[in-house]
Amino acid sequence: MYQFTIEAIASYFGKLPLAIAHTLELSILTILLGLVLGIGGALCRTSRAPVLRLLGRVYVELLRNLPLLIVIYLVYFGLAQLGLRIGNFESALIALTLNTGAYMTEVLRGGLAAIDRGQYLAARAQAMSTVQVYRYVVFPQMFRIIYAPLGNLFISVVLGSSLASVIGVEDVMTWVHIVGNESFRYLEAFLVGGAVYVSLAQLINLSRLLVGRALLRHQAPGARA
Amino acid sequence: MSAVLTFWPAIVKATLTTLWISWLALVLGGIVGAVIGHARLSRRRVLRWSAVAYTELFRSIPPLLLFAGCYYGLAYTLEIRLSPFAAATLALTLVASSLMSEVVRAAIESVGRGQRLAALASAMRPLQVMRYVVWPQAVRVMVPAATGVYITTLKDSSVASVIGYLELTRTTLLVRETTGKSFEALLIAALIYLALTYAISWLGALVERKFHFVH
Repeated sequence: MYQFTIEAIASYFGKLPLAIAHTLELSILTILLGLVLGIGGALCRTSRAPVLRLLGRVYVELLRNLPLLIVIYLVYFGLAQLGLRIGNFESALIALTLNTGAYMTEVLRGGLAAIDRGQYLAARAQAMSTVQVYRYVVFPQMFRIIYAPLGNLFISVVLGSSLASVIGVEDVMTWVHIVGNESFRYLEAFLVGGAVYVSLAQLINLSRLLVGRALLRHQAPGARA
Repeated sequence: MSAVLTFWPAIVKATLTTLWISWLALVLGGIVGAVIGHARLSRRRVLRWSAVAYTELFRSIPPLLLFAGCYYGLAYTLEIRLSPFAAATLALTLVASSLMSEVVRAAIESVGRGQRLAALASAMRPLQVMRYVVWPQAVRVMVPAATGVYITTLKDSSVASVIGYLELTRTTLLVRETTGKSFEALLIAALIYLALTYAISWLGALVERKFHFVH
């Protein structure tokens, strides 16, 4: 009979912090690069030039409709066959960034679209500079709209980063696989790995709630949703 | 390219497998999700909290971990030896049901309390209220969101490749190993996935229009 005991995998806990660090490193880099890509994408999608708009749209449609796993394999195996050899961490980062950038584009575009053109004109009429218009009028309102979907996106980045384990990135998921394969304590390994991911995801959820509360505090009572 | 294309019967079969398993998971996930979604709106606190815990749990665990857990985890610990197909269906259903529970909850909430109260005031029993007033309207609201869940499920089904289930991604990797043509094989898989997801969005929009669901 199987005896559940977490002590059986205690000797592997020493390697867990490094695995979590790799997961976090991959996720944070993805979020930062994805944000850059998303800003570019959102500017393209709202651009006045039809070519840029089309480009932005094709990018978003392609990446949002492809499984992340296929994108990871395409970057890692596909590009290698074409002579472009990229390390496994970098491949995972590129694939995750491309994927996240597409979703980020849509989130940011939604935020931009929610702000009426009249507000830009009104701010301009107050003799605000372009930087001031964005700093004091556009961004504060946009942030209130996008912080919630942004939180969801961050969670899916952390969860998606687990797919990097299929090309050998030593993240939490790889730790789970190694522990399971060496000790046959699969259930314990999955529970610990699952707990790590759930904690990370709920940490993001919690900070989103706190940000939301802080944002609403500064809003006029009448404007509260 | 031609080396990869000689494997077309396997690729076609794998494409159908991918469609079939994600459809199955969508239906099963829809049933489980409907129950969880209703529990979310229950007056009983225990039910409500369990539903929240279920949804949050399966939304916070990477699909990869779920697939591996359902396949290796169950086999080695509880001695439940599921086939790759059963394990993949179970894992995909867990993901799909947590997504569907949110869709169902939002759809029911969209109907509005006033209508429910009015129906109750017309001497309808609670079940009649749901059957004749709430559900017919909620189903309409659900169509676009459920289409999105189907697409997500289809994309997540690619993760079943890690437990050796012969769906499109797994088959593509085998073709890649046999032919050595990584780029071509993966490109074809990517195009098939794109075609499938587009077909689903198109069908979803068609269903919406056909039944005059457009608001």
